Amino acid sequence: MSYLEQNIKRTPYGIVKFLHLNWAVLILIFAISSVGFLMLYSVAGGSLAPWAEPQLKRFVAGICMLLFIAMIPIWFWKNVSGLIYFISIMLLIGVDFFGTTGMGAQRWLDLGFIRLQPSELTKITTVLFLAAYYDWLDITKVSKPIWVLIPVIIILIPVSLIFNQPDLGTALLVLCGGGGLMLLAGVHWGYFLGIIMSLASGAVAIFYTRDTGLAILRDYQYRRIDTFLNPSSDPMGAGYHIGQSKIALGSGGVNGRGFMQGTQSQLNFLPEKHTDFIFTTLAEEFGFIGGLSVLAMYNLLILFCIVSALKNKDRFSSLVIMGIAFTFFLYFAPNMAMVMGFAPIVGVPLPLISYGGSSMLVLLGAFGLMQSAHVHRVR
Amino acid sequence: MIRVPLRPLAHILAVRSSGGNPDDIEKQNVNQRYITYTDLTQKRAERRLFFVGIMFLISFVLVCARMTVLASSEVSSVLTEVSPSNLISQRSNILDRNGNILATNLPTFALYARPQVMIRPQLAVKKLIKIFPDLNAKKMLTDFTGQKTFLWVKDKLSPEQRQAVHEIGEPGLMYGPREMRLYPNGRFASHVLGGTRFNNQSATNADMVGSAGVEATFNNYLSDRADEGKALQLSLDLSVQAAVENILGGSMNIMRAKGATSIVLDVITGEIITMVSLPDFDPNNRQIEFAGDDANNNPLFNRAVQGVYELGSTYKVFTVAKALDLGLVDPETEIDVFRKTNILGTAVRDDHYKVPKLSVTDILTESSNVGTATLAAKIGKNNQISMLKDLGLFHPTEVELIEANGITPLKPKKWIDSSTVTISYGYGLSMSPLHLAVAYATLINGGYKVIPTILKQDNKDLGRRVISAETSNQLRKILRSVVQRGTATLGNVEGYEVGGKTGTANKQKVGARGYDNDRVVSTFVSFFPVKSPRYVLLVSFDEPSYRGGKEKNERSAGWTAVPVAAEIIKRIAPLLNLRPSSETDQVVQLGR
Repeated sequence: MSYLEQNIKRTPYGIVKFLHLNWAVLILIFAISSVGFLMLYSVAGGSLAPWAEPQLKRFVAGICMLLFIAMIPIWFWKNVSGLIYFISIMLLIGVDFFGTTGMGAQRWLDLGFIRLQPSELTKITTVLFLAAYYDWLDITKVSKPIWVLIPVIIILIPVSLIFNQPDLGTALLVLCGGGGLMLLAGVHWGYFLGIIMSLASGAVAIFYTRDTGLAILRDYQYRRIDTFLNPSSDPMGAGYHIGQSKIALGSGGVNGRGFMQGTQSQLNFLPEKHTDFIFTTLAEEFGFIGGLSVLAMYNLLILFCIVSALKNKDRFSSLVIMGIAFTFFLYFAPNMAMVMGFAPIVGVPLPLISYGGSSMLVLLGAFGLMQSAHVHRVR
Repeated sequence: MIRVPLRPLAHILAVRSSGGNPDDIEKQNVNQRYITYTDLTQKRAERRLFFVGIMFLISFVLVCARMTVLASSEVSSVLTEVSPSNLISQRSNILDRNGNILATNLPTFALYARPQVMIRPQLAVKKLIKIFPDLNAKKMLTDFTGQKTFLWVKDKLSPEQRQAVHEIGEPGLMYGPREMRLYPNGRFASHVLGGTRFNNQSATNADMVGSAGVEATFNNYLSDRADEGKALQLSLDLSVQAAVENILGGSMNIMRAKGATSIVLDVITGEIITMVSLPDFDPNNRQIEFAGDDANNNPLFNRAVQGVYELGSTYKVFTVAKALDLGLVDPETEIDVFRKTNILGTAVRDDHYKVPKLSVTDILTESSNVGTATLAAKIGKNNQISMLKDLGLFHPTEVELIEANGITPLKPKKWIDSSTVTISYGYGLSMSPLHLAVAYATLINGGYKVIPTILKQDNKDLGRRVISAETSNQLRKILRSVVQRGTATLGNVEGYEVGGKTGTANKQKVGARGYDNDRVVSTFVSFFPVKSPRYVLLVSFDEPSYRGGKEKNERSAGWTAVPVAAEIIKRIAPLLNLRPSSETDQVVQLGR
């Protein structure tokens, strides 16, 4: 019996719920997505096909889903969080058997009407389940080793499944998302310190086992790390992506080249220009100011989430909102870092802007949960 | 943390004494502790939120800073290519004597594949075949799907082809920047220039090496990065070369000859102004599949310096020159000639004239074998040999073409009397056309030894004297009369005094001894202007056959090489800055 359920009568009901949505977050979502449609229109050479139109349709479907989820009380989602987590794990396992191979990895599950990427779904279900776990768990027990082990297992099941696909990037993001939620739930510092230390030693181990029979990573992953450390060593190969996007960012200048005027992207120099590298197009066409604005919108979105989480007195709601905000951060930060040459290319889309069904639907669903928590908060 | 005992004895006693229930106190205490702890965790949670917020902020600031740096950085080139010129050493240009470009470089790309990063090799092969129909689809598919990590697909891509490959969208197909050698004039001067090929190919670079001609001879100079930008200037004149090549090519077709060659040589400096060998090739694409069995007919074969032929009556000049130089005869000396005679034990015959005596001049104008052989017997074997040696006919020419290396004229192993006789009129000694042109230049330039060169010369000292100036002068007059009234009358060009000597040599029978009457090499070596010679022009056809309105096919040089040479001189003399001169008597008339 949580605090929220005791005060259930003080939450809004019926059509009034609409008025209590977090409109700031909703408007930001609309704004960011609109930038996405513009960019997809631009990289297709001024045409709705092949990217802008399907993206628009998916967005409309996603917004309907968001509102639907938001209208359902948050305690319902808490009660079914275990079931949802279980389903997403089943889907992940299903990918191994029935998945479609794309870009050298099994990631897609063809459900007929939509090609689902269960690894995206797992990012949210893991957060949801962990939040429910910490809501249930007596707060005094949070840092006890046995009670720390359980969430670790909850996180590691999807992580290991995703890593096997193989999709190193998403696996790391799920790991970070779960870890972030544990941090927010108040698990003792020592655990995180220990994990960071062991990760560091793991990285050392990875490099020491290179070119031996015990090599932990795939060969192409080693090469990506090499290229990251010294991108210009292979300007025609993997370093090409980074080189091109740097040129695009540089040539955009302060004001940009103007809508549909980007040479890099219009002339097909950029690979994955409509997915992972769409920020490059944006920075070239709308310049420093355009890029900064999008960045600001992302950060505002997170800021509003933090405010909402701080105001929320229910532990589950607060944790879900923060977990979703953190996951959202984990979507766009690596993409930005990758595009700007801070990080190796791991193939992360820019949330709400990049072309792609799974990530957009999953994110809109997640913001539905966030809205539900916001609407059904105790006043 | 200081533990507060749950049941402080004093409290319990106090409560008991006042009649209360001590369990209530315990309950109260537990509650109090729980609230405290919750507050603590709440604070901790807020601290952590704050920490995470700071993290967001830091990353935001970091990305902003990075974007500022990138946006404010100067982009030197908006174009995105990895500029090939930065990656590859420049090979020097080749220029003609007037600075026209004969060979230069063009940035291009080579296509290679990395099958390990390919996504859809089958599709890539299918689309590549559409762009390059000459590729082998089966082999490519096994390569692309096999264990190879790297393989070349195509050497040079045109911009259109590159765009088409781009549009396949296959990340496993990559481009290596290349420098392509471009010969903008196509086939002109192809044998002199030769060609290039790639060596030591890697993804980002490839060495270009010359495979023939001056590209091979001067490979080190051309590829030396220290000489970057310093062009190689040849002695060739592109416009003259083009004119000669066009005329020679057209006449070769009319005469159905197997091949033709022509050389224009500066008689003072030895500079080669043009050098043509037909059939030729396009140096931009040297891959020629030659099916014939005779390597001499390969288009890549440079007849002017690589081919050695018996060049017939043109050799007669050497004997006459030595006889004049030794003072044994003068141009007017009458020599007994017979239709058929025996000289030094060798039977010699002439068919085409019917007089008992000929002057030395007429021996050349009529091209008398008997007369020349008689003179040869007069000067003797040793004088003949020293003359030929002085003219450079026993050694390779020193021209800077890799093909000329080791091309030594073929002379008899044992120089017997009959050799002296036959060589005097053109058989038994085979040499390259360049050898012959150089020997003529030496004889008519006043007697100074000429060393041929393909490089432009600014100042060149005269060579050592081979014959006296007087002899050279006499020879010029004799050779002028050959054109005026001898075997080369079709060689007269209005306004330009031309001298020269024809040679029509039967070719040796294939697979048998003796000579074939139907297969000849017709040569005309001319020089102009006669009074102060500037250029030697050699024209030679391999197996020509010309029906000039006559019953039987004409093969002799007088009907084949001579009119072509006249046409060439008419065309190139103005290009060489020679003004047509009026005949002397006309000038006198005007002066009256």
